Amino acid sequence: MGADPHGRFADVYERAYEPILGYVLRRCRDPEDAADVVAETFTVAWRRIDELPEGDEARLWLYGVARRVLANHRRGELRREQRAEALREHLASLPAVTHTRSPEEDFSPIGRVFRALPDGDRELLSLVAWERLDTRQLAAALGISRNAVRIRLYRARRRFARALATAGVDHPHAAILEGSSL
Amino acid sequence: MNLANLARLRDEDLAGQASTAQARALMESIVSEERAPAGRRLRVAPARRARRALALGAVAVGLGVAVAIGVGLPGGPATRYANAAVTIERATDYFSVTVTDPAADPGRFEEAFRAVGLNVTVKTIPVPPDEVGRLIGPVVPAGFRGPGSIGVQHVAPCAAAFCGKVWLPAHYSGRVVFGIGRAAAPGEPYADDRLFDPGEEALDGYRSHGRTVAEARDELRRRRLKVGYRLYWTLPDGGFVDQRVTADRMEDGWIVEGSRHSSSDTVDLYVVPGPEAGPAPDPMTVYEAEPHWYDLEG
Repeated sequence: MGADPHGRFADVYERAYEPILGYVLRRCRDPEDAADVVAETFTVAWRRIDELPEGDEARLWLYGVARRVLANHRRGELRREQRAEALREHLASLPAVTHTRSPEEDFSPIGRVFRALPDGDRELLSLVAWERLDTRQLAAALGISRNAVRIRLYRARRRFARALATAGVDHPHAAILEGSSL
Repeated sequence: MNLANLARLRDEDLAGQASTAQARALMESIVSEERAPAGRRLRVAPARRARRALALGAVAVGLGVAVAIGVGLPGGPATRYANAAVTIERATDYFSVTVTDPAADPGRFEEAFRAVGLNVTVKTIPVPPDEVGRLIGPVVPAGFRGPGSIGVQHVAPCAAAFCGKVWLPAHYSGRVVFGIGRAAAPGEPYADDRLFDPGEEALDGYRSHGRTVAEARDELRRRRLKVGYRLYWTLPDGGFVDQRVTADRMEDGWIVEGSRHSSSDTVDLYVVPGPEAGPAPDPMTVYEAEPHWYDLEG
């Protein structure tokens, strides 16, 4: 671990900012809220810099923090902080955000079924499809064993496939998860 | 259809964002913050400021007035409402709230919120001295469901007990509760409104993090403080939950994660349970086992 916390934080921030911003924007309807979640996530990282893992593990660790901050946000506990003010305005005007719809606005049958999945299943499948995490990385991000990841992933895929069938999406191959069908 | 296509954007769409002025400014702001102790960073009402606010409030109580401005349609909400306890002003997409008398009857706050069109419940809740006057919430006990979002933003500088912006979706029909911090009596438990922040410390000049329960307990007793205990569980999904327990659930050799005052004379130790404690409990069961300030009478 580097002796200089500032240098170490700057390094992690540099490498993880875009993936974390992407993670949050993909799960947050409102880009202004996303700015607060990103700010809170990195604030936690700064306060816990001594616990931050090395290398790419830091990004996986930060996904875990962002997930908890988002959960607080959904419980209505997000606080607006002055430090995120400029980022809020910036994200609200970012074409990549404003010109695309959030997953909540995807009314395709698959989008609807995906949104109706239990939170744990949806998050797991999202981490695979959106963050492109493999089993080892999922285990690190979620703080569980690889074996537990495999079991949960298997169950989540099964439930998703069944829900698609129930919704009248006949062909389970209609939904592709990272190159393989459900 | 590839599930990846359900995502609003890909990381590649954000290439270069880490070097924008806004991202750099955020980083500078974060590292300018003192790293430890972490727990008090969001608290914005120093006791001195609160005392001044109380004095201002007392003057306003003497006048005994409430003022509503800008009533639109007959019977419609005001755009600004002020009484001795609070001033609330409606802006385009938020409400500015200035708390002048944190000790006022909660009814005065509810009256003001109602006047600007927000049907919310307000409770005064016991807090540490440096949080007197703080607006806590909004909390949606049943869980907030979008669209939109709810929240509060502190605004500084502030010449009153609390200045901030509150927002929630127009015509939101769920039950919304706010708390106003009042000074807790000596020994009165503080309302527990914040998640425990790992590494948070209650005592000046003493770091409980990494010590055994026995060591931290000895230090608290040496300072003539009562000791409370919370198990700080790591959940299978990577989250955390803290569970209030009695002393008999503790092992002297377990390691303390941090500490927090739960009243003026009591410090709770947040302890990482050893393997013999068994698996983590269901977080909802833990959550529901404790009363929450927003569910209590008064």
